Amino acid sequence: MFSYRFKRRAGRVIPIIIAVILFIIMLFPLYWMFTCSLKTETEIFARPPYMLPPHPTLNAYISQLTMVESFPIIPSFKNSMVISLATMAISVVLSTLASYGLARYDIKFKKSIIFLFLVSQMLPQVFTLVPNFIIFKHIGIYNTYWAPIFANCTTAIPFSILMLRTYFLNIPKEVDDAALIDGCNPLTSFFRVMLPIASTGVVVSFVFSFLFGYADMMYSLTFVNDASKWPVTTGIYNVVGRYGIEWSRAMAFGCLAVAPVVIIFLLMQRYIVEGLASGAVKG
Amino acid sequence: MITVRKKKHYLNTDRVGYGFVLPALLFMGVFIVFPIVYNFILSFQQVDVMTLMSPHKEWIGFQNYKNVIGSQYLLKSLKNTLIFTVGCIFFQFTIGFALAILFNGPAKCLKPISGLTMISYIMPATVTAILFKFMFATSGGIFNELGLSLGLIQEPIEWLLKPDTAMWSVIITNTWSGIPFNMILLLSGLTTIPTEIYESAVIDGANSIQKFFKITLPMMKSSIEAVLVLGFVYTFKCFELIYVMTTGGPVYSTELMSIYSYRRSFMEFNFSEGGAIANILFLILFVIGLFYTKTIGKEELM
Repeated sequence: MFSYRFKRRAGRVIPIIIAVILFIIMLFPLYWMFTCSLKTETEIFARPPYMLPPHPTLNAYISQLTMVESFPIIPSFKNSMVISLATMAISVVLSTLASYGLARYDIKFKKSIIFLFLVSQMLPQVFTLVPNFIIFKHIGIYNTYWAPIFANCTTAIPFSILMLRTYFLNIPKEVDDAALIDGCNPLTSFFRVMLPIASTGVVVSFVFSFLFGYADMMYSLTFVNDASKWPVTTGIYNVVGRYGIEWSRAMAFGCLAVAPVVIIFLLMQRYIVEGLASGAVKG
Repeated sequence: MITVRKKKHYLNTDRVGYGFVLPALLFMGVFIVFPIVYNFILSFQQVDVMTLMSPHKEWIGFQNYKNVIGSQYLLKSLKNTLIFTVGCIFFQFTIGFALAILFNGPAKCLKPISGLTMISYIMPATVTAILFKFMFATSGGIFNELGLSLGLIQEPIEWLLKPDTAMWSVIITNTWSGIPFNMILLLSGLTTIPTEIYESAVIDGANSIQKFFKITLPMMKSSIEAVLVLGFVYTFKCFELIYVMTTGGPVYSTELMSIYSYRRSFMEFNFSEGGAIANILFLILFVIGLFYTKTIGKEELM
């Protein structure tokens, strides 16, 4: 029926069409969130649905940002930044040091230590909520930024250590020995020689520690009672999830909350791919 | 000469190594090892709001475990967790693999933009949950509005309000956010297969299906295992997404074990039973994780 050339061309085009369709389905929810944030509430309930907002308006954003009775979004961004940046700083410092130590030195119980980090990646979030609630109350950091920061670090540190260790393992031991013979001590060798060589891994751990800190909602909800210290995620859950508001405003809030993630993605795509590919395979 | 020897000695001691590892180890000791031990103790005590912060708690042995195992909810939540996990893994693995193959070969021209899908993986689960809650809404939700407009359905489906469809809704949502993870991992596995193997197979007369089953799958074995096991662990303990979307409802139909544990602890304030459920959940994950590290992790991890 069909000529050979047609079949060959179809064989080449059909996979591309399938890929494009899957790609569009994957991106559609994000597109829908954005366009609905530009609609009015009546346009959202229109049938058939408007694929494009007929009269794009920023009203949902304005009312969501200025409404007195709703959650203060702008301060919550500050909270999110404080929590994610501190999570990032603590976990990058601790995990670069530890992963280098675990890659380079023969330590007793090395296997058990690595195993501990592996196990901690399997812990369900709900598992640590009650014990950490009690610790945080006892050491007096309940209801402060430190509580969600420390809790986020328990996710970010094992990921970073297991991921970074493979980078350090790939650096020949001779590089380290040469630095020590040239007059470095272990610490300066680590900072001046090893860290720069493993810089890709270090950036990956920066990016993912930040994302772990930014994505969390539950830790702040559980460990922080004071809504003025809540991050964006806890705020959006509280405003939309619990009480329910107009969908256009919920989508505007969602777009604002996702904006930092999209910016990080655009700037750091290579490192995110790297982290997913290497970090996940290894643990 | 002396200085060099001194430095060599310096290098070889493990003490320096401990210095590097200690800070992280102390941190994890306090916030991970302690919770593991504490949860274990907690699950043998009687702990509610009144006794949570007090140092004296009553020991009741295995009573919490007996209560949990005896209740109808444990089995139901285990069943829900399995359905959810198997459903999610099936779809995200299949679609992720399909995308990986397409972006690696026939649709290579699209590879540069393929990364955009990763936003669904890295965005906060809370936002994903709210976005899909909106898309599944009975009125105004895109699934219903599109179905009604195209005449596929006669009246709106109450996606999140009916037990059967609620499970599907959360599976679809979690699949959407899990696909990029599968795609990227499998894509990096695919790129390690040398193209010469395919070329020689073509010369020997292999067709696409044979190439897939005889070359791609066997060469991808370790990537596939890693994706499936990690996917299993992450999906099995899924929590925030479902908590925000349905909180386990309607009528416990989407109550996973993690949600069940949370409900007992933080909604009904029976912390010790919540702890017992969390322990059972952890035990399941631990056994699977152990199995995984024993089979493929050995030479890579240690």
